Amino acid sequence: MAFRKIDIDALEEDAFGEDEIDFQEIGELRPVADVDAQVNSRAQEVSGNTSGALSTSLQNPPYGAPFHAAKARNTQTVMEVLNSIKVSDVPQLVKSLSPEEQDVLMKYLYAGMATPEQNNSGHLLAWHEKLTEVAGQGCIVRVITDRRTV
Amino acid sequence: MSNTLRPYLNAVRQTLTAAMCLENFSSQVAERHNKPEVEVRASKEVLLNPVVISRNDKERVLIETSVNSLRVSIAIKQADEIERILAHKFTRFLTQRAESFVILRRKPIEGYDISFLITNAHTEQMYKHKLVDFIIQFMEEVDKEISEMKLSLNARARIVSESYLSQT
Amino acid sequence: MILLDYHNRIIEDTLKTRFNPENKPKPVDMSIVDFDGVSYHLSTLDDNDAKLNLSIRWKCWNELVQYGALDVLKREYSRWIIDPEHGYDFTLQFDLNDIGGDPEDVIRRVSLLKRNAMAAPFERAFDAQSLAEQEDHWDPSSSQLMTIHYRDGEAIYVQNQQDRVTVIFSTLFKEETDRVFAKVFLQEFVDARKKPHLQNAPQVIYSHREPPLEIRHVPGLLDSESQGYITFVLFPRNYAAGAVREETISRIQIFRDYLHYHIKCSKAYMHSRMRARVSDFLKVLNRAKPEIQASEKKLASGRTFRRA
Repeated sequence: MAFRKIDIDALEEDAFGEDEIDFQEIGELRPVADVDAQVNSRAQEVSGNTSGALSTSLQNPPYGAPFHAAKARNTQTVMEVLNSIKVSDVPQLVKSLSPEEQDVLMKYLYAGMATPEQNNSGHLLAWHEKLTEVAGQGCIVRVITDRRTV
Repeated sequence: MSNTLRPYLNAVRQTLTAAMCLENFSSQVAERHNKPEVEVRASKEVLLNPVVISRNDKERVLIETSVNSLRVSIAIKQADEIERILAHKFTRFLTQRAESFVILRRKPIEGYDISFLITNAHTEQMYKHKLVDFIIQFMEEVDKEISEMKLSLNARARIVSESYLSQT
Repeated sequence: MILLDYHNRIIEDTLKTRFNPENKPKPVDMSIVDFDGVSYHLSTLDDNDAKLNLSIRWKCWNELVQYGALDVLKREYSRWIIDPEHGYDFTLQFDLNDIGGDPEDVIRRVSLLKRNAMAAPFERAFDAQSLAEQEDHWDPSSSQLMTIHYRDGEAIYVQNQQDRVTVIFSTLFKEETDRVFAKVFLQEFVDARKKPHLQNAPQVIYSHREPPLEIRHVPGLLDSESQGYITFVLFPRNYAAGAVREETISRIQIFRDYLHYHIKCSKAYMHSRMRARVSDFLKVLNRAKPEIQASEKKLASGRTFRRA
């Protein structure tokens, strides 16, 4: 393609783009403001409330390209919840999650480890270990293959 | 901090095992080509989400997967100038021997010290679990080797300086 | 071998065979090198195989002469000095029929030629200091800063003060690795004095890039990352007299070569370790390859073959 200055493959009709992923996987996108509001109210709800906080924070996570701010906010919320839970409680908590919630949790674990400056990697690694024991490698495969990233 | 080493390596092992599901896949862009998609990045639909596993902000592993290839990049712990030099020397020494290491990438990814590129050809010819073993063992021993080299350098420096100054 | 020799081994060995009366004089023409860019030329005269010339050439020869090198050399080699050979700085001539002294002793002294030439500024500084110590009112302006540019871009500075002599090495590390390794080594030199049995050793100060006070006014100092300065502070006990003094002079001269020699040794050691480690890794990786079973197969005709 060196002789062309334009990447013509990107202009093809059935080329694969970001918005298409969103459309295929998520359907109609909600307005950005709605999602932001939802994520913020959840952060309020979760803070200081340990029982059920994990499950709540994993409900209906913001997916899709336009929601950068909401994604970051929600990741932070999940991280706060994870940090507030003692390592000894982890196995039993993980077991109580539904398979969908486990997948979402795994996504957030990887998202957390991608920014080691902000998060305690050691704690996340402990979570990762326990979650893999319960949910298996299929859970990791679903994180790697799922286009709905967090 | 060595108590985080085991979960770290464990997480890498699990993730690698999960990610290493590769199959033969011809290029969609150029006819009769068959290239590692993770390197050419020509068609987005065959690239999967990259994941990072970190132990702290210095040590981390990036695993990028595609339909027919997998790239593992490792950032080695470098606490000070000496460790930085030693790690650099060691990884350079290895990459110069990439020919015999088959899965070693000749140039690391930006921000990492050493990268491996595993294609479907490798997983077809070799045992997948042993390949994972190799990468895990590599990560374990690199740290050990670098700290041993540093110790031996310090020990030599001490002996050298003492025998020079113990004249009069 | 931890410490390096002070003498030149090649000169020693060559002279040993030449000075042996059992060997007949033979024509010779050798070029010999030593540390710090010194080159020697050992040759017999065209018409007389029994006359042996040894010449030395060194970049900083003029500086050494200025600091009294010729006096030291006259003291050591008076019998054999002749006019310098063309292209060299200093020449000795030996008559194999009459060496003039015990051969062992002559060989030892001659092989220390470079060391003795370099000894002059040190001896001068030590003498000046011991004089100054006896004076009540010492004039600081009488301290002399002697500079010897013994290598390209590197120099030794010797300065006498009332109660001590400071020797400063400016060194240049061409490679990043060398620089970092040298830092480790020099840090140990600085710390070594804390050991009880090394209390009397000279104090060592290492500074990176920043020149020490004594030579800060000297023009033309290179300001770069690869530049380092090592200062030795010698007190009178380090150069009392006789053997101690000679030993100190010899050893301080060899400092730079000693340091670099050990940096190279460390690198070689690292390399051998890495080799061993790489072959270990290869073994682990090869375990991932399944063994190909080379069993004999049989054709319908009854012949056997081996699949490649």
